[in-house]
Amino acid sequence: MLDVASVDFAYPGGNPVLSDIAFSVRRGEVLAIVGRNGAGKSTLLRLLNGLRQPASGTVTVDGLNTADTPVHVLAHHIGTVFQAPEQQIFNAKVHDEIAFGPRQQGLTGAALEARIAEVLGRIGLADAAQLHPLDLDAAARRLVALGSVLAMKPPVLLLDEPQRGLDANAMARLEAIVAEEAEAGTCVILVCHDMDFVARRASRVLALAQGRIAADLPTLDFFTSDELTRKAGVEVPDPVELARFLGLPPVLTPSALAAKWLADHRSA
Amino acid sequence: MALIKVEDLFFRYPQAKAPVLDGLSVAFEQGERVAILAPNAAGKTTLARWLAGLYPDGGLVAERGHVSMDGKPWPQWSAAERAAAVQFVGQVPSQQLTGCAFTVYEEIAFGPCNLALPEGEVRARVEQALAVCNLKHLAKRDPFTLSGGEQQRLSIAAALAMQPRVLILDEPTSNLDPESRDDFIAQLDALPAGLTVIVFEVALRPSLGLARRFMLLDEGRIVVDGTPETVLAHPRCIETLGMTAVARAAFEIREAGRWPEGLALPLTLAVAEQSFREAARA
Repeated sequence: MLDVASVDFAYPGGNPVLSDIAFSVRRGEVLAIVGRNGAGKSTLLRLLNGLRQPASGTVTVDGLNTADTPVHVLAHHIGTVFQAPEQQIFNAKVHDEIAFGPRQQGLTGAALEARIAEVLGRIGLADAAQLHPLDLDAAARRLVALGSVLAMKPPVLLLDEPQRGLDANAMARLEAIVAEEAEAGTCVILVCHDMDFVARRASRVLALAQGRIAADLPTLDFFTSDELTRKAGVEVPDPVELARFLGLPPVLTPSALAAKWLADHRSA
Repeated sequence: MALIKVEDLFFRYPQAKAPVLDGLSVAFEQGERVAILAPNAAGKTTLARWLAGLYPDGGLVAERGHVSMDGKPWPQWSAAERAAAVQFVGQVPSQQLTGCAFTVYEEIAFGPCNLALPEGEVRARVEQALAVCNLKHLAKRDPFTLSGGEQQRLSIAAALAMQPRVLILDEPTSNLDPESRDDFIAQLDALPAGLTVIVFEVALRPSLGLARRFMLLDEGRIVVDGTPETVLAHPRCIETLGMTAVARAAFEIREAGRWPEGLALPLTLAVAEQSFREAARA
């Protein structure tokens, strides 16, 4: 679904930001891109969605080479929710913001309204359809930006820090959406500093360090490697550490930790 | 006298039906490290702006109550006095950049220069802020070419260079990698005592290393104010913000009937190992 082949990139007049990047992502995978501030994570996202072109190598999305495909065409194949959602929202009503993408795809009338209603339901903002997106709180704005992308049903979703600023309720919505999308065969790519979120939701981790791939592994294998998490400068989620301290088999999530602990202490 | 005092603050945005802050009262002492946790739409950013003296502003006034620093309500402060006393760093760092600095160094110098400080003093402050926020290696970079996390560190550095007595941070560490966050907390600890730090957060874990006093802001009021343990165990906090990962695991063991009665759920990894071992022995 998405293929990155020996990509290098530098901003004009700058040092190399990304070197020798190669990976592919299959349908239904949830890939988390992690690494220190300035490791090149957001730059990599901009290469995937065609906002930037690699200096060498190719990026192929849904069979399209990003170098030959205009961004507005590519946007139907790869939807991006940026770090600051207020920078991508431009309609005066939540309803219109959600409608914008599918309308560009030629959806009209009842089909368009049905698509909007479906998305508003998924992001939990059906009651806010007529409000100005920027009158909403920060988490709801993030969900509006996510909804405007979901409405286009792109086969690849790019989410830059989607969990940021979400409370338990909004987080549950986001996690449900990520799970549903993966289930439906969407390829979901997250840039994320919250390793608890990565542990709960990502199937695979791509770690960047100084513009190179430091690791590309299933989530559990990545977090159980001290060497790789240190190299990538990321925090090991507490359940992973605690399982290790307690001599339990490796786990990623609080629920898995509780289950292993209960299995280990069945007869008290 | 409390350093910052909020008295019965009742505030709504023009044309809004419901108030954002609903008769809120709270006081902060000099040198305190406070984390105010809040679910979405609880009034977090609005309260942060009141504490920072950015409100009242034009038509944005309280229907009742006020906020004062050193016993003096905000309207009696000049902008320059206020900027030297309290600094606010918002959620979107790129919106906070002045836009008139070509380097990180100049961006940090902007505030102190506007206080008309002597050049030596400005340079000393910039150097210190660069160190605290792990930005020395980026001093010559254009602020707009930094990554999101680097810009966040820059906006905190620019605020610190004003040497405020109060620093108010809206989700300060959400975009920082763990090394930068730990550095930042360690450097804050190394600053002269007396700086009051108030952070607003949705996530539970980042504040545990930063603050000693916790509060939960919910529906425009402070519903609980105390130690991290008290606040994170409060039912409304669990309902709206969830639990830390280790507390969640212990909670699920308790739900299965296997967590000893009277043994508190651990909040952090540091205490979790011992709690789990105790639970295993029980």
